[in-house]
Amino acid sequence: MKKNNILRKILNYKEFGLVIALIVLLIAALFINKSFFTFGNISRTLTNNSVFAILTVGIMFVLITGGIDISIGSILAVSGVSVTELMIMNNSIPPIVLILAGIAIGAACGLINGFLVGKMKIVPMIVTLGTMYVFRGLAFVITQGAWRFPHMFTEAFASYAKTEILGFDAIVFWAVGLFIVAGLFLGYTRPGRRLYAIGTSSESSKVAGIREDNVKILAYVLCGACAGLAGALYAANYLTVSSDIGKGYEMTAIAICILGGVSITGGRGRMDGVVIAVILMSVITSLLSMIPGYSVWQDALQGAIIIVAVIVNIANGSLADKRALRERGNRI
Amino acid sequence: MSTPEIQTRDLAVKEKFRLSRFLVRWEMILVYILAAINLLLVILRPNLYFESGTIQSIIRSGMDISVMVLGMIFVLMLGDIDVSVGAIMIVSCMVMGLLLDAGAPAAVAIIAGIAAGGLCGVFNGVLVARFRMPAVIVTIATSMLFRGVAEIVMGENTLKNFPDWFSTLAWGDLGGLIPYSMLFFLAVAVIFAVVLHKTKFGRELYIIGNSSTVAQYSGIRVVRIKIIVFAVMGVSAALSGILFAGRLKGISSGMGTGYELKAIAIAVLGGVSTNGGKGKAYGPVIAVFIMAFMTKTLDLLNVHANIQIIFQGIILLIAVMIPMFNKEFFDGLKLRFVFMGDKNIEAISRRSAKEQQELKAGIAEVYADRSLTEGERKAKVNEYNADIAASKKKCRDDIKRAKDELKARRKNVV
Repeated sequence: MKKNNILRKILNYKEFGLVIALIVLLIAALFINKSFFTFGNISRTLTNNSVFAILTVGIMFVLITGGIDISIGSILAVSGVSVTELMIMNNSIPPIVLILAGIAIGAACGLINGFLVGKMKIVPMIVTLGTMYVFRGLAFVITQGAWRFPHMFTEAFASYAKTEILGFDAIVFWAVGLFIVAGLFLGYTRPGRRLYAIGTSSESSKVAGIREDNVKILAYVLCGACAGLAGALYAANYLTVSSDIGKGYEMTAIAICILGGVSITGGRGRMDGVVIAVILMSVITSLLSMIPGYSVWQDALQGAIIIVAVIVNIANGSLADKRALRERGNRI
Repeated sequence: MSTPEIQTRDLAVKEKFRLSRFLVRWEMILVYILAAINLLLVILRPNLYFESGTIQSIIRSGMDISVMVLGMIFVLMLGDIDVSVGAIMIVSCMVMGLLLDAGAPAAVAIIAGIAAGGLCGVFNGVLVARFRMPAVIVTIATSMLFRGVAEIVMGENTLKNFPDWFSTLAWGDLGGLIPYSMLFFLAVAVIFAVVLHKTKFGRELYIIGNSSTVAQYSGIRVVRIKIIVFAVMGVSAALSGILFAGRLKGISSGMGTGYELKAIAIAVLGGVSTNGGKGKAYGPVIAVFIMAFMTKTLDLLNVHANIQIIFQGIILLIAVMIPMFNKEFFDGLKLRFVFMGDKNIEAISRRSAKEQQELKAGIAEVYADRSLTEGERKAKVNEYNADIAASKKKCRDDIKRAKDELKARRKNVV
């Protein structure tokens, strides 16, 4: 009997489908290319996807409140270029200060979004569409159109993201740390739960005394801060920076969130699902890059996967509703 | 006894034409903005502005996105959004280009391209309407999917085999004066405007946009209409693709990124609400020209293209904020800063304002009354004026007393 319960628990686990998909992919990887499972490849894959992972966490905060933020790619660019310019202006700034500066710049950008959404009550899609243009232009103003190449980076900053700890790059630990902190924040703190509350029902959270506008501002600031962190780490990791970095990243980040079960209408989404979705996407891109000639399939495949994932999610939801109805019927 | 008059309600709600209303309509404001930009252009570069061909080239530069904007009006009207239009445009260009490469006649290729756009739209529409998936997710995913398909099929190739009249359409002028592309755009725009404002289908769009539940209960086939709208969006993206291919003379898979967001921005600037159910077809048409002229003016001011997008963004944000500055907004400010946040004081001010309005109406009545002599009229008007002055003074005194009381009360609390 007890064994049965555990089985049911596993089957009822919300991200069960994702886990299965991940396992299938990993088995496929065994046949496609053995070198996928070398430590070097895994470490490299994680490094390459850390920036996306951080962006994904950021946009998750906003999606949970029922909003959307398509300006994060531009915020990433603003933060990345300003951190680089700061470093070039003053070579003696330690890397950690630069990264904190990146976070602060991102948070400031997020504050603008949050103010327009929360206080001025403009639709999030339009606000962030506008600020997406504005921030992208701002990034260009900061760089004056110049590119920054690896030889312009200071030794300390260039080696920062590449510092190896236990064989993994430092940037991976930033992403993992952010996942843990954000997971705890969303699950166990008052402001974190409030994000879910206003995403689920803005009416009832208002009645419950939650200040909706302030919570929304918080969500956008956190999202901006994550994008800022991603920008600083992007600069440190790739060492090639222009005002065009991060274009289109917002769509991929939103896509990963949706794959991880975050509802775009708000109120739903858990950190474990997003973590699995990030890993799944990284495995797919890594595998595709290993098969010669197939890297062009990446966009199409990602799009198809999201559509399937959402259809499965919706089907699952209606099945669960039906099951609940039937159980209620049996009880009566 | 005459038969009692049967009361009938006039169901045709028609507002009388009022010039004061007409002049502050959103479309008119857009016209003013357009005029202001043109004025700026004249002042900045008078010789360039009056040179032949300048205005035509400005207009032509904005036309490749224009048809897409028309389709976007319908989608936004439903309260949905479509960010896959850039990808759809490339897919339909690709279909056209590949067929032309294979030697198919131009007519077949164009019909196939438009059909491809329509099919992409139907795909979006089915997922949004039938499977009830949020439009943002669907179109983000399908934009990846469509562009991915284009990448797979085209690889690094560029399709160049478009017929000559494509570039004539995009670059030529009728009689050296009117760009063909503008005529094309306006012709399509007239169709869209008629459909939106003069047909049952158009009214149904407004109803669905305002409340899709109400639309469902009043017998509108919401699912079918949504699919049709997304298909129309796909077709208009394909039509945009014709102008796009003619303008660039070559298509590769990475082109047209960001067009979707630009189209949405223009539609919103044109007064179409993203919440659905609000907006007219004329606004976005004017907004298309505003965007084109603004880009050119900024070019003349030597503003780099990457900095111009800052202006685009700010204009978009200001455009959506303008309707917020209405009477309630200013009343709120007044309550907060003039009346010290006290509703009683606001009420005093409102009451006396109403009183004064009535007295002023009395003056108008006196003037209208022809039976009075000049002397009587003057006396009555003076009487009324005295009353108004008294009312104003009373209002001031009342407010001052109330404020003093309020201050005293607040001091006591502290």
